Amino acid sequence: MALAAVALALSPGATAAQSITQRGFVDATVVFYPQDATNDRVQLVGDLIAREEVFVKPAAWVQFAGGLDARANTHDQVERSWRLDLGDRRPLRPALSLRRLTATFTHGPWTVDAGRQFIRWGKADIVTPTDHFAPRDFLSVIDNEFLPVAGVRAAVQWRSESIEGVWVPLFTPSRTPLLNQRWTAVPEGAASLSLVDASGPLPEGSQAGIRWGHTTGAYEWSASFFDGFNHLPDISLTPEASPFVVGIAKSYPDLQSYGFDLAVPTRWVTFKGETAYFTSASPTSDTYVLYVVQLERQTGEWMLVGGYAGEVVTEQRAQLTFAPDRGLTRSLVARASYTIDANRSTALETAIRQNGHGAYVKGEYSQARGQHWRATVTGALIRGHVDDFLGQYRRNSHVTLSIRYSF
Amino acid sequence: MGTGIGCGVALALSIFTWPAVVDAADDPRQIVLESQKRTDVKSQRYEGLLQVFDAKGKVSDKRWTLERIGAHGDSKMVLRFTAPAEVKGVALLVVNHPDRASDQWMWTPGVERDRRIALQDRSTRFFGTDFSFEDMEERDVNQYDYVLLGDDTVDGMACWKIQSTPKQTKSSQYTKAVVWIRKDNYAVTRVESYVKDQAVRRLAYGDFVNIVGIWTARQLDMSDLRRGSRTRLTLEKLQYNVAMKDEDFTLQALRRQ
Repeated sequence: MALAAVALALSPGATAAQSITQRGFVDATVVFYPQDATNDRVQLVGDLIAREEVFVKPAAWVQFAGGLDARANTHDQVERSWRLDLGDRRPLRPALSLRRLTATFTHGPWTVDAGRQFIRWGKADIVTPTDHFAPRDFLSVIDNEFLPVAGVRAAVQWRSESIEGVWVPLFTPSRTPLLNQRWTAVPEGAASLSLVDASGPLPEGSQAGIRWGHTTGAYEWSASFFDGFNHLPDISLTPEASPFVVGIAKSYPDLQSYGFDLAVPTRWVTFKGETAYFTSASPTSDTYVLYVVQLERQTGEWMLVGGYAGEVVTEQRAQLTFAPDRGLTRSLVARASYTIDANRSTALETAIRQNGHGAYVKGEYSQARGQHWRATVTGALIRGHVDDFLGQYRRNSHVTLSIRYSF
Repeated sequence: MGTGIGCGVALALSIFTWPAVVDAADDPRQIVLESQKRTDVKSQRYEGLLQVFDAKGKVSDKRWTLERIGAHGDSKMVLRFTAPAEVKGVALLVVNHPDRASDQWMWTPGVERDRRIALQDRSTRFFGTDFSFEDMEERDVNQYDYVLLGDDTVDGMACWKIQSTPKQTKSSQYTKAVVWIRKDNYAVTRVESYVKDQAVRRLAYGDFVNIVGIWTARQLDMSDLRRGSRTRLTLEKLQYNVAMKDEDFTLQALRRQ
């Protein structure tokens, strides 16, 4: 019996069906902030990340994926413990975290992904109102990255239609800026105050969503519904024993959202629109609509995206929030990238508030060398008023140098 | 290439061995039709090596795997990069249509989402190579008008020299193309693509081998005549009529790594 199993495993058919692939990189980044911040005098921050992802496909109908991140940082943004963090829900980035652990089953038009994974619904750039299952790491607000969630995603595609259902039993919040670092903007008059985290436990309960997509040659759209929690927190200040200490309590209100996105490619531009209506039973959460309309055009080696991100608040109840998605609305947003050749590219990204109270411009130059190395230089200029979401970070303009070895 | 004879990277590289049987050998549309007919396969799989040579001769390598299913001009194709490491997992889905330009989507694992490649995007170079996105799609014979320009010789082989012009000019970046088709086996050996009257790209086919009765060019050299750069595509482990499923050529399938 055992011999038969070995023979089967070594048979040409079995070998052909099974495939193992991997990808990974080691990335070293140095960020230089020319200006001090009120609560952060550190001007040079070093960050190191190593990532490895493996994909195993033992049969045509099933695939397993696993990925790990290992991190280190010179500015206490990474936990010192080397325990494997399976949830990645804590204030600091874990030193060792499970990025991906997924089983994917396919049968006919059906696909089921179960496990820790990335689920993206957003179609627009810079602001994506329907990305409810895509919390982000905002330790550096304008250089954020997505966090995975643990759940099940089932999708069926039939001709032009697709239906996708998502169930996430464990809530993953976006990682907010550290209270003692520059991306928590502290007014100059409050420099003597110490901020402490007074947050309660994360919400329990599952999140679910369903999305119906329709794709044709002329256009594509999708409509979605989400019932869960906002991965961005409402903020409340809590009294502490000392008058020089302020407690910052983050709470993640329940959220229901109805979303719609549309993409219409035309000869000259591609029109993209994305909107979502956010409502909550929480008495301290706003009810609002976020929307993005953008035009996209690729001409030669230029990729140009320009548009407007807007917000309509239908019921204002929140006192204080950390909401970069809303903070980037009422803004003109644009991104231009240019592919110089097979190894070099450059990009420019900007968001400018319509009232002129805040703006950032980010430029990037990237060059690959050989099959493995890439160097990227980024410069970000942030300007604005202290009471504006972007303007509050006006002392956080920075230059970043990143060296990556991919394997 | 948008020449209507399937000189896209996906197919178009193969010709049956039997002798020419076209009655109206001086009818350019019939010649092209016969050439396309001889490349008909149910499915196709290969591993490709892309070598980009810039004007200074520097080489940059990329590798991919390609799977294709369906009839010529009405096929679907998934292309996945396997090297270099930084683009590993990037995938492209092309859905070809006999009556119009293809639909294309790209999956980028770095941001975990797909993006539609719009019609105006197709003149863009494909990942910095000398192929454009349009060059990745197949076009049906009926999307073009043809004019026989005469006879010519390529690499010592007698060829028909045919001009193809897209009927719907808005659907292609190219104004026209000139195609060389071998008289002995109807193999496409060279394509020059024009914008207005200027030749902008030249695709040369070489290293023909017979695979399961199909003559196949295993080496394609695409030259960007304006930039002075060149990309060589070498096909490895090519298989025809492999068992494939239609559901592996969908947006859902594209996101599988």
